[in-house]
Amino acid sequence: MGLTLNVPAGEVFGLLGHNGAGKTTTVNLLTTLLEPSSGDATINGHSVTADAAGVRRSIGYLPENVQFYDDLTLLENLRFFARLSGLRRPDARIRDVLSFLDFEGHDNQKIGMFSKGMRQRVGIAQAVLHEPAVLFLDEPTSGLDPEGVRTLRETIVRLNREFGMTVFMNTHLLSEVTKTCTSIGILNHGALVHHDSLANTLAAFPAEDSLEDIYFRLDVTSPS
Amino acid sequence: MSDTWTVAGKELLDLRRDRLFAILIAFLAVATLISVAVASADFRNQQGAYNLYVANLVKSGTSIAPAAPQLFPLKLLRGGIEYLEILGALFAIVLGYETIAKEKHRGTLALVLSRPLGRFSFAGGKMLGLSIAWLGVVSALTVVSLLAVVTIGQAPIRGSDVARLLVSSGFAWLYLVFWTALTVGLTALSTRLSTGLILALIIWLAFVLIIPQIGDTMDPDNQVPGGLFATLRIKKPDELAVLAQFSAFDGIRNGLEVSSVTKHFERLTFAFLGIKDQYNQQPLGLVWVAMLPYSITLTAATFASVVFAALATTRRTLQRTHS
Repeated sequence: MGLTLNVPAGEVFGLLGHNGAGKTTTVNLLTTLLEPSSGDATINGHSVTADAAGVRRSIGYLPENVQFYDDLTLLENLRFFARLSGLRRPDARIRDVLSFLDFEGHDNQKIGMFSKGMRQRVGIAQAVLHEPAVLFLDEPTSGLDPEGVRTLRETIVRLNREFGMTVFMNTHLLSEVTKTCTSIGILNHGALVHHDSLANTLAAFPAEDSLEDIYFRLDVTSPS
Repeated sequence: MSDTWTVAGKELLDLRRDRLFAILIAFLAVATLISVAVASADFRNQQGAYNLYVANLVKSGTSIAPAAPQLFPLKLLRGGIEYLEILGALFAIVLGYETIAKEKHRGTLALVLSRPLGRFSFAGGKMLGLSIAWLGVVSALTVVSLLAVVTIGQAPIRGSDVARLLVSSGFAWLYLVFWTALTVGLTALSTRLSTGLILALIIWLAFVLIIPQIGDTMDPDNQVPGGLFATLRIKKPDELAVLAQFSAFDGIRNGLEVSSVTKHFERLTFAFLGIKDQYNQQPLGLVWVAMLPYSITLTAATFASVVFAALATTRRTLQRTHS
Protein backbone atom coordinates (compact mmCIF):
# COMPACT_ATOMS: atom_id res chain seq x y z
CA MET A 1 0.00 0.00 0.00
CA GLY A 2 1.35 3.46 -0.87
CA LEU A 3 2.06 6.22 1.61
CA THR A 4 2.05 9.92 0.76
CA LEU A 5 3.36 12.18 3.48
CA ASN A 6 4.96 15.61 3.77
CA VAL A 7 6.72 16.73 6.94
CA PRO A 8 7.89 20.36 6.76
CA ALA A 9 11.34 21.29 8.06
CA GLY A 10 11.47 22.18 11.73
CA GLU A 11 8.59 19.91 12.77
CA VAL A 12 8.60 17.24 15.43
CA PHE A 13 6.49 14.65 13.67
CA GLY A 14 5.06 11.64 15.47
CA LEU A 15 4.05 8.61 13.43
CA LEU A 16 1.53 6.55 15.35
CA GLY A 17 0.10 3.16 14.65
CA HIS A 18 -0.52 -0.29 16.04
CA ASN A 19 2.05 -3.09 15.90
CA GLY A 20 2.57 -4.13 12.30
CA ALA A 21 1.08 -0.92 10.90
CA GLY A 22 4.29 -0.23 8.98
CA LYS A 23 5.95 2.46 11.13
CA THR A 24 9.38 0.83 11.27
CA THR A 25 9.21 -0.09 7.59
CA THR A 26 8.48 3.56 6.82
CA VAL A 27 11.48 4.71 8.84
CA ASN A 28 13.69 2.04 7.26
CA LEU A 29 12.66 3.27 3.82
CA LEU A 30 13.25 6.90 4.72
CA THR A 31 16.67 6.15 6.25
CA THR A 32 17.59 4.10 3.12
CA LEU A 33 18.02 0.90 5.12
CA LEU A 34 15.36 -0.57 2.84
CA GLU A 35 14.95 0.07 -0.87
CA PRO A 36 11.39 0.88 -1.95
CA SER A 37 9.86 -1.59 -4.42
CA SER A 38 8.23 1.42 -6.07
CA GLY A 39 7.80 5.12 -5.43
CA ASP A 40 10.22 7.58 -3.89
CA ALA A 41 10.76 9.87 -0.93
CA THR A 42 12.78 13.03 -0.57
CA ILE A 43 14.64 13.89 2.61
CA ASN A 44 16.11 17.37 2.87
CA GLY A 45 16.11 17.59 -0.93
CA HIS A 46 17.69 14.16 -1.51
CA SER A 47 15.85 11.26 -3.11
CA VAL A 48 16.07 7.94 -1.27
CA THR A 49 16.25 6.11 -4.61
CA ALA A 50 18.49 8.42 -6.66
CA ASP A 51 20.67 9.98 -3.97
CA ALA A 52 20.77 7.61 -1.01
CA ALA A 53 24.22 8.90 0.03
CA GLY A 54 22.82 12.45 0.17
CA VAL A 55 19.98 11.22 2.38
CA ARG A 56 22.43 9.45 4.68
CA ARG A 57 24.50 12.63 5.03
CA SER A 58 21.36 14.55 6.03
CA ILE A 59 19.97 12.23 8.65
CA GLY A 60 20.61 10.94 12.12
CA TYR A 61 19.00 7.66 13.12
CA LEU A 62 18.21 6.01 16.42
CA PRO A 63 16.81 2.50 15.89
CA GLU A 64 14.58 0.74 18.38
CA ASN A 65 16.71 -1.16 20.91
CA VAL A 66 19.89 0.54 19.75
CA GLN A 67 23.01 -1.63 20.02
CA PHE A 68 26.67 -0.65 20.17
CA TYR A 69 30.07 -2.30 20.21
CA ASP A 70 29.94 -3.38 23.84
CA ASP A 71 33.67 -4.05 24.18
CA LEU A 72 34.52 -0.53 23.07
CA THR A 73 34.27 2.50 25.31
CA LEU A 74 31.75 5.29 24.90
CA LEU A 75 34.39 7.52 23.30
CA GLU A 76 35.58 4.78 20.92
CA ASN A 77 32.02 4.07 19.81
CA LEU A 78 31.21 7.72 19.23
CA ARG A 79 34.50 8.35 17.41
CA PHE A 80 33.72 5.44 15.08
CA PHE A 81 30.22 6.65 14.21
CA ALA A 82 31.35 10.27 13.94
CA ARG A 83 34.08 9.35 11.45
CA LEU A 84 31.64 7.28 9.42
CA SER A 85 29.47 10.39 9.31
CA GLY A 86 32.33 12.39 7.84
CA LEU A 87 33.81 14.08 10.94
CA ARG A 88 37.58 13.75 10.65
CA ARG A 89 38.52 15.08 14.11
CA PRO A 90 35.40 14.37 16.12
CA ASP A 91 36.60 14.65 19.74
CA ALA A 92 35.62 18.30 20.29
CA ARG A 93 32.18 17.69 18.78
CA ILE A 94 31.73 14.56 20.91
CA ARG A 95 32.48 16.59 24.05
CA ASP A 96 29.93 19.23 22.99
CA VAL A 97 27.24 16.64 22.34
CA LEU A 98 27.88 14.76 25.58
CA SER A 99 27.77 18.06 27.45
CA PHE A 100 24.50 18.98 25.70
CA LEU A 101 23.06 15.62 26.78
CA ASP A 102 24.43 16.10 30.31
CA PHE A 103 26.23 12.79 29.91
CA GLU A 104 29.81 13.51 30.87
CA GLY A 105 32.27 11.39 32.85
CA HIS A 106 31.62 8.08 31.08
CA ASP A 107 34.07 8.48 28.19
CA ASN A 108 36.28 5.53 28.97
CA GLN A 109 33.64 3.15 30.23
CA LYS A 110 32.72 0.20 28.04
CA ILE A 111 29.20 0.51 26.67
CA GLY A 112 28.49 -3.08 27.64
CA MET A 113 28.23 -1.81 31.23
CA PHE A 114 25.62 0.85 30.41
CA SER A 115 21.94 0.73 31.43
CA LYS A 116 19.15 0.98 28.87
CA GLY A 117 18.65 4.67 29.67
CA MET A 118 22.37 5.41 29.25
CA ARG A 119 22.46 3.51 25.96
CA GLN A 120 19.53 5.53 24.70
CA ARG A 121 21.42 8.75 25.42
CA VAL A 122 24.44 7.39 23.59
CA GLY A 123 22.02 6.51 20.81
CA ILE A 124 20.90 10.14 20.61
CA ALA A 125 24.53 11.29 20.78
CA GLN A 126 25.64 9.13 17.83
CA ALA A 127 22.61 10.30 15.84
CA VAL A 128 23.29 14.04 16.25
CA LEU A 129 27.10 14.14 16.18
CA HIS A 130 27.21 15.30 12.58
CA GLU A 131 24.38 17.85 13.10
CA PRO A 132 21.90 16.21 10.74
CA ALA A 133 18.99 18.16 9.31
CA VAL A 134 16.55 15.36 10.08
CA LEU A 135 16.55 13.03 13.06
CA PHE A 136 14.73 9.69 12.82
CA LEU A 137 13.76 8.00 16.08
CA ASP A 138 12.19 4.54 16.05
CA GLU A 139 10.26 3.90 19.27
CA PRO A 140 12.79 5.97 21.25
CA THR A 141 11.06 5.50 24.61
CA SER A 142 10.80 1.73 24.30
CA GLY A 143 12.05 0.07 27.49
CA LEU A 144 12.87 3.31 29.31
CA ASP A 145 11.79 4.07 32.88
CA PRO A 146 9.68 7.21 33.52
CA GLU A 147 12.76 9.32 34.26
CA GLY A 148 14.44 8.12 31.06
CA VAL A 149 11.30 8.92 29.09
CA ARG A 150 11.20 12.45 30.49
CA THR A 151 14.90 13.07 29.80
CA LEU A 152 14.55 11.83 26.26
CA ARG A 153 11.47 13.95 25.66
CA GLU A 154 13.27 17.06 26.89
CA THR A 155 16.26 16.24 24.67
CA ILE A 156 14.09 15.88 21.58
CA VAL A 157 12.36 19.19 22.25
CA ARG A 158 15.72 20.96 22.81
CA LEU A 159 17.23 19.52 19.65
CA ASN A 160 14.27 20.83 17.72
CA ARG A 161 14.12 24.26 19.34
CA GLU A 162 17.83 25.01 19.78
CA PHE A 163 19.18 23.50 16.57
CA GLY A 164 16.13 23.55 14.33
CA MET A 165 16.41 19.81 13.79
CA THR A 166 13.43 18.18 12.12
CA VAL A 167 12.41 15.10 14.10
CA PHE A 168 10.54 12.11 12.70
CA MET A 169 9.51 9.80 15.50
CA ASN A 170 7.71 6.47 15.62
CA THR A 171 6.00 5.78 18.87
CA HIS A 172 3.32 3.88 20.69
CA LEU A 173 3.08 6.32 23.57
CA LEU A 174 0.30 8.76 22.80
CA SER A 175 1.07 10.76 25.94
CA GLU A 176 4.60 11.41 24.67
CA VAL A 177 3.29 12.57 21.33
CA THR A 178 1.09 15.13 23.05
CA LYS A 179 4.07 16.51 24.98
CA THR A 180 6.67 16.39 22.21
CA CYS A 181 5.25 16.50 18.69
CA THR A 182 4.05 19.45 16.67
CA SER A 183 2.34 17.25 14.07
CA ILE A 184 1.19 13.66 13.89
CA GLY A 185 0.36 10.99 11.38
CA ILE A 186 -1.60 7.84 12.08
CA LEU A 187 -0.77 4.74 10.11
CA ASN A 188 -3.20 1.86 9.81
CA HIS A 189 -2.23 -1.27 7.88
CA GLY A 190 0.27 0.69 5.79
CA ALA A 191 -2.11 3.56 4.99
CA LEU A 192 -1.98 7.03 6.46
CA VAL A 193 -5.45 7.58 7.95
CA HIS A 194 -4.70 10.94 9.54
CA HIS A 195 -2.05 13.65 9.16
CA ASP A 196 -2.25 17.13 10.68
CA SER A 197 -0.70 19.38 13.29
CA LEU A 198 -1.30 18.32 16.86
CA ALA A 199 -3.24 21.50 17.56
CA ASN A 200 -5.53 20.98 14.56
CA THR A 201 -6.02 17.34 15.45
CA LEU A 202 -7.09 18.13 18.99
CA ALA A 203 -9.34 20.96 17.71
CA ALA A 204 -10.94 18.71 15.10
CA PHE A 205 -12.22 16.33 17.74
CA PRO A 206 -13.58 18.59 20.50
CA ALA A 207 -15.70 15.78 21.89
CA GLU A 208 -12.68 13.61 22.64
CA ASP A 209 -10.79 14.08 25.91
CA SER A 210 -7.37 12.96 24.73
CA LEU A 211 -5.27 11.94 21.76
CA GLU A 212 -5.91 8.36 22.82
CA ASP A 213 -9.64 8.84 22.37
CA ILE A 214 -9.02 10.45 18.97
CA TYR A 215 -6.77 7.56 18.01
CA PHE A 216 -9.53 5.04 18.68
CA ARG A 217 -12.15 7.30 17.15
CA LEU A 218 -10.17 7.08 13.91
CA ASP A 219 -10.85 3.34 14.10
CA VAL A 220 -7.21 2.29 14.24
CA THR A 221 -7.22 -1.41 14.93
CA SER A 222 -4.55 -4.00 15.38
CA PRO A 223 -4.53 -6.89 12.96
CA SER A 224 -6.16 -9.89 14.61
CA MET B 1 38.95 5.32 1.48
CA SER B 2 38.90 7.01 4.88
CA ASP B 3 35.66 5.15 5.71
CA THR B 4 37.43 1.90 4.88
CA TRP B 5 40.24 2.79 7.29
CA THR B 6 37.70 3.80 9.94
CA VAL B 7 35.97 0.40 9.69
CA ALA B 8 39.38 -1.34 9.67
CA GLY B 9 40.50 0.60 12.75
CA LYS B 10 37.34 -0.34 14.63
CA GLU B 11 37.79 -3.97 13.60
CA LEU B 12 41.32 -4.04 14.98
CA LEU B 13 40.19 -2.39 18.21
CA ASP B 14 37.41 -4.98 18.52
CA LEU B 15 39.84 -7.86 17.89
CA ARG B 16 42.31 -6.52 20.44
CA ARG B 17 39.61 -6.95 23.08
CA ASP B 18 38.27 -10.25 21.74
CA ARG B 19 39.14 -13.06 24.15
CA LEU B 20 38.40 -15.76 21.59
CA PHE B 21 40.89 -14.21 19.17
CA ALA B 22 43.54 -14.00 21.89
CA ILE B 23 42.96 -17.66 22.81
CA LEU B 24 43.22 -18.81 19.18
CA ILE B 25 46.47 -16.92 18.64
CA ALA B 26 47.97 -18.17 21.90
CA PHE B 27 47.04 -21.70 20.85
CA LEU B 28 48.83 -21.32 17.51
CA ALA B 29 51.92 -19.92 19.25
CA VAL B 30 51.97 -22.78 21.76
CA ALA B 31 51.44 -25.32 18.95
CA THR B 32 54.45 -23.84 17.11
CA LEU B 33 56.59 -24.07 20.24
CA ILE B 34 55.55 -27.66 20.88
CA SER B 35 56.18 -28.70 17.27
CA VAL B 36 59.70 -27.22 17.37
CA ALA B 37 60.33 -28.89 20.73
CA VAL B 38 59.17 -32.28 19.40
CA ALA B 39 61.19 -31.93 16.18
CA SER B 40 64.36 -30.91 18.01
CA ALA B 41 63.92 -33.75 20.52
CA ASP B 42 63.56 -36.11 17.58
CA PHE B 43 66.76 -34.72 16.04
CA ARG B 44 68.65 -35.12 19.34
CA ASN B 45 67.49 -38.76 19.44
CA GLN B 46 68.82 -39.30 15.92
CA GLN B 47 72.08 -37.64 16.91
CA GLY B 48 72.32 -39.80 20.05
CA ALA B 49 71.69 -42.96 18.04
CA TYR B 50 74.30 -41.88 15.50
CA ASN B 51 76.90 -41.17 18.19
CA LEU B 52 76.23 -44.58 19.76
CA TYR B 53 76.54 -46.23 16.36
CA VAL B 54 79.82 -44.44 15.62
CA ALA B 55 81.18 -45.36 19.07
CA ASN B 56 80.36 -49.02 18.41
CA LEU B 57 82.01 -48.80 15.00
CA VAL B 58 85.15 -47.35 16.59
CA LYS B 59 85.14 -50.12 19.23
CA SER B 60 84.92 -52.72 16.51
CA GLY B 61 87.95 -51.17 14.84
CA THR B 62 86.24 -49.53 11.86
CA SER B 63 87.47 -46.05 11.09
CA ILE B 64 84.94 -45.20 8.33
CA ALA B 65 81.74 -43.71 9.77
CA PRO B 66 78.58 -42.75 7.87
CA ALA B 67 77.73 -39.07 7.57
CA ALA B 68 76.32 -37.57 10.72
CA PRO B 69 72.67 -36.46 10.69
CA GLN B 70 72.64 -32.79 9.85
CA LEU B 71 70.41 -30.30 11.57
CA PHE B 72 68.57 -28.00 9.19
CA PRO B 73 66.98 -25.43 11.52
CA LEU B 74 63.99 -24.56 9.36
CA LYS B 75 63.03 -28.23 9.06
CA LEU B 76 62.09 -28.02 12.73
CA LEU B 77 59.13 -25.87 11.68
CA ARG B 78 57.37 -28.64 9.75
CA GLY B 79 54.91 -29.34 12.58
CA GLY B 80 54.17 -25.62 12.95
CA ILE B 81 53.36 -25.35 9.24
CA GLU B 82 51.07 -28.37 9.46
CA TYR B 83 49.26 -26.81 12.43
CA LEU B 84 48.84 -23.62 10.41
CA GLU B 85 47.54 -25.58 7.42
CA ILE B 86 44.78 -27.22 9.42
CA LEU B 87 44.15 -25.24 12.60
CA GLY B 88 45.20 -21.88 11.17
CA ALA B 89 42.65 -22.28 8.38
CA LEU B 90 40.02 -23.29 10.94
CA PHE B 91 40.79 -20.25 13.11
CA ALA B 92 40.69 -18.03 10.01
CA ILE B 93 37.20 -19.37 9.30
CA VAL B 94 36.08 -18.66 12.87
CA LEU B 95 37.44 -15.12 12.62
CA GLY B 96 35.77 -14.47 9.27
CA TYR B 97 32.46 -15.80 10.56
CA GLU B 98 32.67 -13.87 13.80
CA THR B 99 33.34 -10.53 12.16
CA ILE B 100 30.10 -10.64 10.14
CA ALA B 101 28.00 -12.65 12.61
CA LYS B 102 28.72 -10.21 15.44
CA GLU B 103 27.60 -7.25 13.34
CA LYS B 104 24.43 -9.02 12.23
CA HIS B 105 23.67 -10.48 15.63
CA ARG B 106 24.28 -7.51 17.90
CA GLY B 107 22.25 -5.14 15.75
CA THR B 108 24.92 -2.52 15.06
CA LEU B 109 24.40 -2.69 11.30
CA ALA B 110 21.50 -0.22 11.31
CA LEU B 111 23.76 2.47 12.79
CA VAL B 112 26.57 1.71 10.32
CA LEU B 113 24.44 1.38 7.19
CA SER B 114 22.45 4.56 7.86
CA ARG B 115 25.71 6.44 7.26
CA PRO B 116 27.10 7.59 3.92
CA LEU B 117 29.50 4.70 3.34
CA GLY B 118 30.87 3.83 -0.08
CA ARG B 119 29.78 0.59 -1.77
CA PHE B 120 32.87 -1.33 -0.65
CA SER B 121 33.77 0.63 2.50
CA PHE B 122 32.25 -1.80 4.98
CA ALA B 123 33.51 -5.01 3.37
CA GLY B 124 36.81 -3.38 2.44
CA GLY B 125 37.30 -2.09 5.97
CA LYS B 126 36.49 -5.47 7.46
CA MET B 127 38.92 -7.23 5.14
CA LEU B 128 41.61 -4.60 5.65
CA GLY B 129 41.27 -4.88 9.44
CA LEU B 130 41.35 -8.67 9.38
CA SER B 131 44.30 -8.73 6.97
CA ILE B 132 46.25 -6.40 9.25
CA ALA B 133 45.29 -8.59 12.22
CA TRP B 134 46.59 -11.69 10.42
CA LEU B 135 49.76 -9.81 9.46
CA GLY B 136 50.30 -9.11 13.15
CA VAL B 137 49.60 -12.73 14.06
CA VAL B 138 51.90 -14.13 11.35
CA SER B 139 54.66 -11.68 12.33
CA ALA B 140 54.34 -12.76 15.97
CA LEU B 141 54.38 -16.45 14.97
CA THR B 142 57.48 -15.81 12.81
CA VAL B 143 59.29 -14.31 15.79
CA VAL B 144 58.09 -17.18 18.02
CA SER B 145 59.30 -19.68 15.40
CA LEU B 146 62.73 -18.07 15.14
CA LEU B 147 63.13 -17.91 18.92
CA ALA B 148 61.92 -21.51 19.27
CA VAL B 149 64.38 -22.78 16.66
CA VAL B 150 67.28 -20.93 18.29
CA THR B 151 66.44 -21.63 21.94
CA ILE B 152 64.54 -24.94 21.98
CA GLY B 153 66.10 -26.38 18.83
CA GLN B 154 69.54 -24.93 19.67
CA ALA B 155 70.09 -24.46 15.95
CA PRO B 156 72.14 -21.64 14.44
CA ILE B 157 70.13 -19.34 12.15
CA ARG B 158 71.69 -17.71 9.10
CA GLY B 159 70.51 -14.66 7.20
CA SER B 160 69.23 -16.82 4.35
CA ASP B 161 67.17 -18.86 6.84
CA VAL B 162 65.50 -15.67 8.03
CA ALA B 163 64.76 -14.72 4.42
CA ARG B 164 63.23 -18.15 3.74
CA LEU B 165 61.14 -17.90 6.89
CA LEU B 166 59.90 -14.43 5.92
CA VAL B 167 58.89 -15.62 2.45
CA SER B 168 57.04 -18.56 4.03
CA SER B 169 55.36 -16.17 6.49
CA GLY B 170 54.13 -14.14 3.53
CA PHE B 171 52.50 -17.24 2.09
CA ALA B 172 51.04 -18.09 5.49
CA TRP B 173 49.48 -14.64 5.59
CA LEU B 174 47.95 -15.11 2.12
CA TYR B 175 46.63 -18.53 3.12
CA LEU B 176 44.94 -17.25 6.30
CA VAL B 177 43.47 -14.22 4.52
CA PHE B 178 42.07 -16.60 1.88
CA TRP B 179 40.07 -18.57 4.45
CA THR B 180 38.92 -15.51 6.37
CA ALA B 181 37.73 -13.71 3.22
CA LEU B 182 35.95 -16.81 1.94
CA THR B 183 34.04 -17.13 5.23
CA VAL B 184 33.23 -13.41 5.35
CA GLY B 185 31.63 -13.72 1.90
CA LEU B 186 29.74 -16.91 2.73
CA THR B 187 28.45 -15.56 6.05
CA ALA B 188 27.35 -12.28 4.45
CA LEU B 189 25.47 -14.17 1.74
CA SER B 190 23.72 -16.56 4.13
CA THR B 191 20.27 -15.72 5.39
CA ARG B 192 20.97 -17.86 8.43
CA LEU B 193 24.30 -17.03 10.02
CA SER B 194 25.10 -20.68 10.77
CA THR B 195 24.73 -21.60 7.08
CA GLY B 196 27.77 -19.49 6.15
CA LEU B 197 29.84 -21.13 8.87
CA ILE B 198 28.70 -24.64 7.92
CA LEU B 199 29.49 -24.04 4.24
CA ALA B 200 32.95 -22.74 5.11
CA LEU B 201 33.56 -25.76 7.34
CA ILE B 202 32.47 -28.15 4.57
CA ILE B 203 34.92 -26.47 2.18
CA TRP B 204 37.61 -26.62 4.87
CA LEU B 205 36.91 -30.32 5.45
CA ALA B 206 37.10 -31.07 1.73
CA PHE B 207 40.09 -28.95 0.77
CA VAL B 208 42.17 -29.01 3.96
CA LEU B 209 41.61 -32.55 5.19
CA ILE B 210 40.01 -34.91 2.67
CA ILE B 211 41.56 -34.01 -0.70
CA PRO B 212 45.16 -33.62 0.57
CA GLN B 213 44.72 -36.86 2.53
CA ILE B 214 43.58 -38.71 -0.61
CA GLY B 215 46.55 -37.27 -2.50
CA ASP B 216 48.94 -38.30 0.27
CA THR B 217 47.46 -41.80 0.38
CA MET B 218 47.87 -42.19 -3.38
CA ASP B 219 51.53 -41.10 -3.20
CA PRO B 220 53.65 -44.29 -3.35
CA ASP B 221 56.38 -42.52 -1.41
CA ASN B 222 54.02 -42.16 1.55
CA GLN B 223 53.26 -45.89 1.84
CA VAL B 224 56.39 -46.64 3.84
CA PRO B 225 57.95 -44.46 6.55
CA GLY B 226 61.02 -42.83 5.05
CA GLY B 227 59.70 -43.25 1.51
CA LEU B 228 59.05 -46.35 -0.59
CA PHE B 229 61.83 -45.78 -3.10
CA ALA B 230 64.39 -44.77 -0.48
CA THR B 231 63.59 -47.87 1.58
CA LEU B 232 63.98 -50.08 -1.49
CA ARG B 233 67.25 -48.22 -2.25
CA ILE B 234 65.98 -47.28 -5.68
CA LYS B 235 67.92 -44.40 -7.18
CA LYS B 236 66.18 -41.24 -8.44
CA PRO B 237 66.47 -41.98 -12.21
CA ASP B 238 65.05 -45.48 -11.62
CA GLU B 239 62.32 -44.03 -9.42
CA LEU B 240 61.36 -41.64 -12.22
CA ALA B 241 61.40 -44.51 -14.71
CA VAL B 242 59.05 -46.54 -12.51
CA LEU B 243 56.74 -43.56 -11.99
CA ALA B 244 56.69 -42.94 -15.76
CA GLN B 245 54.80 -46.23 -16.05
CA PHE B 246 52.10 -44.80 -13.77
CA SER B 247 51.85 -41.32 -15.28
CA ALA B 248 48.03 -41.36 -15.47
CA PHE B 249 47.76 -42.41 -11.83
CA ASP B 250 50.30 -39.80 -10.78
CA GLY B 251 48.50 -37.18 -12.86
CA ILE B 252 45.25 -37.88 -11.00
CA ARG B 253 47.05 -37.83 -7.65
CA ASN B 254 48.76 -34.55 -8.43
CA GLY B 255 45.55 -33.08 -9.89
CA LEU B 256 43.72 -33.87 -6.66
CA GLU B 257 46.45 -32.28 -4.59
CA VAL B 258 46.71 -29.08 -6.61
CA SER B 259 42.93 -28.61 -6.44
CA SER B 260 43.47 -27.83 -2.77
CA VAL B 261 44.74 -24.39 -1.78
CA THR B 262 46.17 -26.03 1.32
CA LYS B 263 48.45 -28.19 -0.80
CA HIS B 264 49.67 -25.09 -2.64
CA PHE B 265 50.52 -23.49 0.68
CA GLU B 266 52.22 -26.67 1.88
CA ARG B 267 54.31 -27.10 -1.26
CA LEU B 268 55.39 -23.46 -1.11
CA THR B 269 56.37 -23.45 2.55
CA PHE B 270 57.96 -26.93 2.43
CA ALA B 271 60.08 -25.78 -0.52
CA PHE B 272 61.15 -22.45 0.92
CA LEU B 273 61.86 -23.85 4.39
CA GLY B 274 63.75 -26.76 2.85
CA ILE B 275 61.44 -29.30 4.50
CA LYS B 276 61.15 -30.96 1.11
CA ASP B 277 64.61 -32.49 0.59
CA GLN B 278 64.59 -31.60 -3.10
CA TYR B 279 64.77 -27.90 -2.19
CA ASN B 280 66.84 -28.12 0.99
CA GLN B 281 69.95 -25.93 0.81
CA GLN B 282 69.08 -24.87 -2.72
CA PRO B 283 69.58 -21.17 -3.61
CA LEU B 284 66.51 -19.05 -2.87
CA GLY B 285 66.29 -17.91 -6.51
CA LEU B 286 66.07 -21.49 -7.72
CA VAL B 287 63.27 -22.25 -5.25
CA TRP B 288 61.43 -19.13 -6.40
CA VAL B 289 61.58 -20.24 -10.02
CA ALA B 290 60.40 -23.76 -9.17
CA MET B 291 57.59 -22.50 -6.96
CA LEU B 292 56.41 -19.64 -9.17
CA PRO B 293 53.22 -21.40 -10.38
CA TYR B 294 52.19 -22.19 -6.79
CA SER B 295 52.92 -18.69 -5.56
CA ILE B 296 50.83 -17.27 -8.42
CA THR B 297 47.89 -19.59 -7.73
CA LEU B 298 47.93 -18.95 -3.97
CA THR B 299 48.05 -15.19 -4.56
CA ALA B 300 45.30 -15.41 -7.18
CA ALA B 301 43.13 -17.58 -4.92
CA THR B 302 43.49 -15.10 -2.06
CA PHE B 303 42.75 -12.16 -4.34
CA ALA B 304 39.65 -13.95 -5.69
CA SER B 305 38.52 -14.74 -2.16
CA VAL B 306 38.86 -11.08 -1.08
CA VAL B 307 36.95 -9.93 -4.19
CA PHE B 308 34.24 -12.49 -3.38
CA ALA B 309 33.99 -11.15 0.18
CA ALA B 310 33.75 -7.56 -1.09
CA LEU B 311 31.07 -8.39 -3.66
CA ALA B 312 29.07 -10.60 -1.29
CA THR B 313 29.05 -8.14 1.63
CA THR B 314 26.45 -5.64 0.47
CA ARG B 315 23.79 -3.62 2.25
CA ARG B 316 21.20 -6.07 0.98
CA THR B 317 22.96 -9.28 2.03
CA LEU B 318 23.92 -7.88 5.42
CA GLN B 319 20.33 -6.99 6.24
CA ARG B 320 18.79 -10.29 5.25
CA THR B 321 16.66 -11.97 7.88
CA HIS B 322 18.76 -14.11 10.13
CA SER B 323 18.46 -16.25 13.18
